[in-house]
Amino acid sequence: MAMQFQRWFSKVVVAVGLSLSFAANTYAEADPKLWPVMQEAFFAKREMKDVDFIKIEAPRRAESGAQVPVTYSIDNAAANGVVIKKLYAFVDANPIPITAIYHLTDTLGNFQLSTRIRFETDAFVRLVGETADGSLYLASREIRAAGGCGGMVENNESEIRAAAGRIKMNVETPVKVGTPTTATFNIKHIMRTGLQRDLVSQGYVPAFYINKVDFVYGGKPLMTVDVGVGTAEDPYFKFSFIPASAGNLEAVATDNEGKTFSQQYEVKI
Amino acid sequence: MRILMITMSLFSIIGCSHAEVQHSNFAVESVADGIYVHHGEHLDIDTGYQGDICNISFIVGSKGVAVIDTGGSLKVGQQLQSAIRKVTPLPVLYVINTHVHPDHIYGNAAFLPKNPSDPKPEFVGHEKLANAMDVRSEQYAKLNERFLHDDAIGSELIKPTLVVKTTLELDLGDRVLVLNAHPLAHTNTDITLIDRKTGTLFAGDLLFIARTPVVEGDIKGLIAEIIKLKSSPATQVVPGHGPVTKDWVVALSNAERYLTVLLNDVRASIKGNVSMEKTMDTAAESERNHWKLFEIANRRNVNTIYPVLEWE
Ligand SMILES: [Zn+2]
Repeated sequence: MAMQFQRWFSKVVVAVGLSLSFAANTYAEADPKLWPVMQEAFFAKREMKDVDFIKIEAPRRAESGAQVPVTYSIDNAAANGVVIKKLYAFVDANPIPITAIYHLTDTLGNFQLSTRIRFETDAFVRLVGETADGSLYLASREIRAAGGCGGMVENNESEIRAAAGRIKMNVETPVKVGTPTTATFNIKHIMRTGLQRDLVSQGYVPAFYINKVDFVYGGKPLMTVDVGVGTAEDPYFKFSFIPASAGNLEAVATDNEGKTFSQQYEVKI
Repeated sequence: MRILMITMSLFSIIGCSHAEVQHSNFAVESVADGIYVHHGEHLDIDTGYQGDICNISFIVGSKGVAVIDTGGSLKVGQQLQSAIRKVTPLPVLYVINTHVHPDHIYGNAAFLPKNPSDPKPEFVGHEKLANAMDVRSEQYAKLNERFLHDDAIGSELIKPTLVVKTTLELDLGDRVLVLNAHPLAHTNTDITLIDRKTGTLFAGDLLFIARTPVVEGDIKGLIAEIIKLKSSPATQVVPGHGPVTKDWVVALSNAERYLTVLLNDVRASIKGNVSMEKTMDTAAESERNHWKLFEIANRRNVNTIYPVLEWE
């Protein structure tokens, strides 16, 4: 999985190179011409269908590009037998457009997830759902937002390192067997993009970010998130799942330097 | 209070070139002996921003002039310079930036010497200002290009040549300015200053009057600095945005009240598992009718502080 994500990042460079030629008009709102190029870079020659059963909730205009709240959902009834196994989330005008890839399981029920992402400028959120047989489905939403990718405050490196990986988890009570239950996961992390100028060396501050979070419930995989730097500082995921019994909700996160952080939350019924 | 239309009379002297026509809207108010303030419009940085939205001031001593903030573009800086020239032929000795926000700093370039032999003013700011300018320069350049178009041209980022670590005194000739650096509050680069001669305090964006206060650095730090400012020996205060006032303790208390309500409401939301999205709709609702630009500014404040306060 990690390998695959790495390959994706290298594709990003291709997509960005292409997108720059469209970026001349900076006064415009989100540019619909970016996506066809990006789609070809990430899903070469594959068909993709626009659908309504994948939904994106977000402000029309984001107050701060650094932490834009979005909610993704899949309406299983409306999907009419289409089962999405993987959900790719892009912000198509970001220098690194992929924000996360969600690997889904049946235990999530009607998938619903809230997170916070970064916007460099006006852009479309593009959600691409993939089924087990590789069919692709697209949902899009335009968001007006300015400036959130660069680090705005210079921080104390040892404090950042010491705080990185702290996890908070919560499950809303009361929990009932077979009923959608809301879990919240926060992890402290600066999520450095690797694109921020290092003012001393004149190079770039190296990327430093959470790259994966594995959620397991009662010993069974619940959801895996390949996290990208388009996910906002201190990554946040709030999602629903359907517990079959009481059990432990376990989260295991890794960063791009190979460190692992984990926490468990005991769900009582 | 007098409103001086500084450049109107220039037309008859120099003739009416395009540049001077644009300058004709730049009004400055005399608020004390030798102290002049220009009030920008109350516009959000994300809607109709035209580079002229904050208070810009200058103080005239017997040796020279100090400028306090320069506006958001070279054009505004030049308008300010024309306004100064109408009042005094004395040189600008100091260009002070109260903090890093783009509406306060991008007119700096207007005060660079035109000829190498001309005297260069000291550019003065918080010890963290130069670095903060660097870190934000790309993003601010985009903002300027997007909203200011041609007005952004030449709005070079000019960094401080003289830094304020704790306090610094500047002598303009028969009048001394005392500058104070603040810890993380509105931003990480806030300074305030007081003109000893008249007791006029320039609060920068630690104080907003009429317009909704903005917090970017740290809301708890901002509240703490506002409380400390209340014991200033000031006779009147020039806020970063809004009218100059002699009722400044009340103005500080109003800002403190809004920020405290906001802080308490956001903390209560986090404790009660109310999402950031919902909190943006509800926090500090009781303050809505007291402030201009409340909807956008309050929502943005929640968006800024909620993810931070989650870790308290
Ligand atoms: Zn400001």
